[in-house]
Amino acid sequence: MADTENGNGNGKVRGGRAGFLPIHTNAFDRVFIGTVVFVALHLFWMRFLEAHIPLYIATVLSLLIGAIIVARG
Amino acid sequence: MRSTTIGWLMLAPTLLILTVFGVVPFVYVLVVGFTDWNAFAADPTAHFAGVENYRRLVFDGQFLNSLWKTLWFAIFAVVSQVVLGYFLAQLLMKDIPFKGFFRTVHTLPLMVAPIAVGATWRLLTVPGLGPLPYYLERWFGIEYRLGTYADQAFLTTIIMDVWHWTPLVTLTMLAGLASMPKEPFEQAQIDGANKLQIFWHITLPMLKPTILATVFIRMMDALRTVDEVWMLTGGGPGAATRYVGLHIWRVVFPKTDYGYGAAMSLLTLYLTIVMCWLLYAALVARRELPKAE
Repeated sequence: MADTENGNGNGKVRGGRAGFLPIHTNAFDRVFIGTVVFVALHLFWMRFLEAHIPLYIATVLSLLIGAIIVARG
Repeated sequence: MRSTTIGWLMLAPTLLILTVFGVVPFVYVLVVGFTDWNAFAADPTAHFAGVENYRRLVFDGQFLNSLWKTLWFAIFAVVSQVVLGYFLAQLLMKDIPFKGFFRTVHTLPLMVAPIAVGATWRLLTVPGLGPLPYYLERWFGIEYRLGTYADQAFLTTIIMDVWHWTPLVTLTMLAGLASMPKEPFEQAQIDGANKLQIFWHITLPMLKPTILATVFIRMMDALRTVDEVWMLTGGGPGAATRYVGLHIWRVVFPKTDYGYGAAMSLLTLYLTIVMCWLLYAALVARRELPKAE
């Protein structure tokens, strides 16, 4: 998790920026969020959608979402 | 020698220990989670199985049920501990008689091994022997049967966890309260703030990092609880207290389904990390989004 400037967890993240995500993030945070989304989407897909749509679609989708989060999150 | 080189040299033992005991086992479990490896199967060797274990996992009613129960257990236990721990810490901050004695006595459960805590509570609650069922029936007419009623078993595991771990929360809260400066409180009193306003606008914001760290530690612990519950209820009655750690243990050891067990462990770890991160994001790292014009 990102370290914060004033030490008690409030305020901006060191080396961070404010993208479309509702929190201040640095590069590590965005990769982490991308990975979390990647896993969550695959599990959701396997449970509810894989009978109709192949899992590769989930992989492509989550990679796309991950790339957007890393670039603009 | 350059200062950065000295820095890396001083960090080297910690990094080595972290790699050997943290990173390597994690990578091993990650690899095993993608294999079909059962020591009791016709072919007991490990084979790459892709996401098959995870596909099985999302349809496994028993696992999902144990995960759900664990979540409720963790939420009830941690919230109770934080509330109770805060009030105990406030009490121990005041000048009460025998304060040192109470402070020592109330930390005693922390020193007891979880398996001994489970055994003690088992002796307390077993019908026909323990005092708890006897007095509950005699004084309140409550039929307390841990091996029969699922709700009672669930509640007892929560109370046991609260009894065991509230002292840790109290100690961290005490440290947090003791390190607070006095000036804001004096200023608020001069300004005429009542106790609730002081708590809400001064104590709580200043105690937030302490509360957050405590909740993280306790949440992670509660989500992987095994030994206490194993000793007290054995996961029963039925699967009423078969929390996820216990469920994984049953799959990995008696059934020797290592691949599937590793997948369950990883999913539990994933959920634990996500929950803690969401809590962090909601309470600490949140920022105000610009309003649309």
